[in-house]
Amino acid sequence: MNKNSNLYIVIYSTVMVVVVATLLAVAALALKSRQDANILNEKKQAILASLSLEGQNYDEVIEAYVVNENGEKIEGQDPIQLLFDLPAAFAQNTLPVFQAEDGRIVVPVSGVGLWGPMWGYVALEKDMNTISGIVLDHAGETPGLGAEVATPKHQAMYKGKTLFEGEEFVSVTLRKGGAKDEKHEVDAISGGTKTSDGVTDMLKKSLGAYQPLLKAAAAPCCEACTEATECETKNVENNE
Amino acid sequence: MSNKNLKYLTGPFSANNPVIVQILGICSALAVTVQLKPAIVMALSVTAVTAFSNLVMSLLRNGVPSRIRIIVQLVVIAALVILVDQVLKAFVYDVSKQLSVYVGLIITNCIVMGRVEAFALGNGPWASFLDGIGNGLGYGLILVVVAFFRELFGSGTLYGFRVIPESWYITEGGFYANNGLMLFPPMALIIVGCIIWVHRSKNKDLQEK
Repeated sequence: MNKNSNLYIVIYSTVMVVVVATLLAVAALALKSRQDANILNEKKQAILASLSLEGQNYDEVIEAYVVNENGEKIEGQDPIQLLFDLPAAFAQNTLPVFQAEDGRIVVPVSGVGLWGPMWGYVALEKDMNTISGIVLDHAGETPGLGAEVATPKHQAMYKGKTLFEGEEFVSVTLRKGGAKDEKHEVDAISGGTKTSDGVTDMLKKSLGAYQPLLKAAAAPCCEACTEATECETKNVENNE
Repeated sequence: MSNKNLKYLTGPFSANNPVIVQILGICSALAVTVQLKPAIVMALSVTAVTAFSNLVMSLLRNGVPSRIRIIVQLVVIAALVILVDQVLKAFVYDVSKQLSVYVGLIITNCIVMGRVEAFALGNGPWASFLDGIGNGLGYGLILVVVAFFRELFGSGTLYGFRVIPESWYITEGGFYANNGLMLFPPMALIIVGCIIWVHRSKNKDLQEK
């Protein structure tokens, strides 16, 4: 058969494509469970990293649950699985919460940068106001510019910032030219304005969705434990 | 192994090195050499791809219609690269994240297609396979040397293990600081340049008259 005839070329390429496609499909299916396990583990590690608990056993230190838009716990959803499609989870008001043993909580955030999706995990102190740590990641921000949001150097700036001013939710803003407000602003990324704006938006929207939960969780803790005990101690002192 | 076959395998290590003699595959050599671990994984990935694309194309060489030769080569190489990518994602996930797009870009690595086109189409499967291994390792050798210097002077570690003691650092009251330039691609180019310089001064027949 003439190897340069059209018929031969058509048959040859068809067979080749079918063989290669089958091979790749089999390989993808065979390796899928391992890859998914890796991705799941990465998410768990990111949650631990936001709490600065790297190296600990996720299942031992984290208790995960789901709340709705009013901050009430709901059943029947797997918090970890919701992380795989966060935008949908936020749209349906199924909000995953990851609570550490020490009372701190981690909430996921989800938004868009310049080129594609961004996501992250924000760990809050027991007062449900102060940021204890943050992990941000992105799908395709510009390396060296927008992608800097995923570096430890950038993420370290969020530590200690607060979300509320009194009762009002103000979130944390990335300010171009350097942070002015010590409590609610961090430096934006030079050359990454769109990405920085994306992070600001993401924090405002995603953390905003958790407001009822944060307020509810903060209240009993402050009144019942900290202030109450302090008051009692003061009273006792006064009495004496 | 016959002498001829041995030459296919070891030639690319030095006299015929794809990176420092033929100046191929520089792009990824700059990008993945900040640390040793990704450099080694990249070297093994490229070796696997060059070896098997050479083998497969050598086996197919008598049946491939010459008019769609390049397309067939691309399909074979792309399929192998996707396989490598999937395997890395399944077994060394953290490294595959570090290598990010560069695994996919093995497809465009000139070494792979260059060897298929220049060698595998004209030689038997065993010789082609050895040639692929040799070229992959020759490429990997340079990657590892570059990564060695970049990780040592840029981060003070080797393969993730600390080599330069913490107490030497200025921040800890010592006298030493990492060279930040080592972490950037231009420094990889400079190191490759130095390797080429040393290599040529030792191999007189490579020097232009």
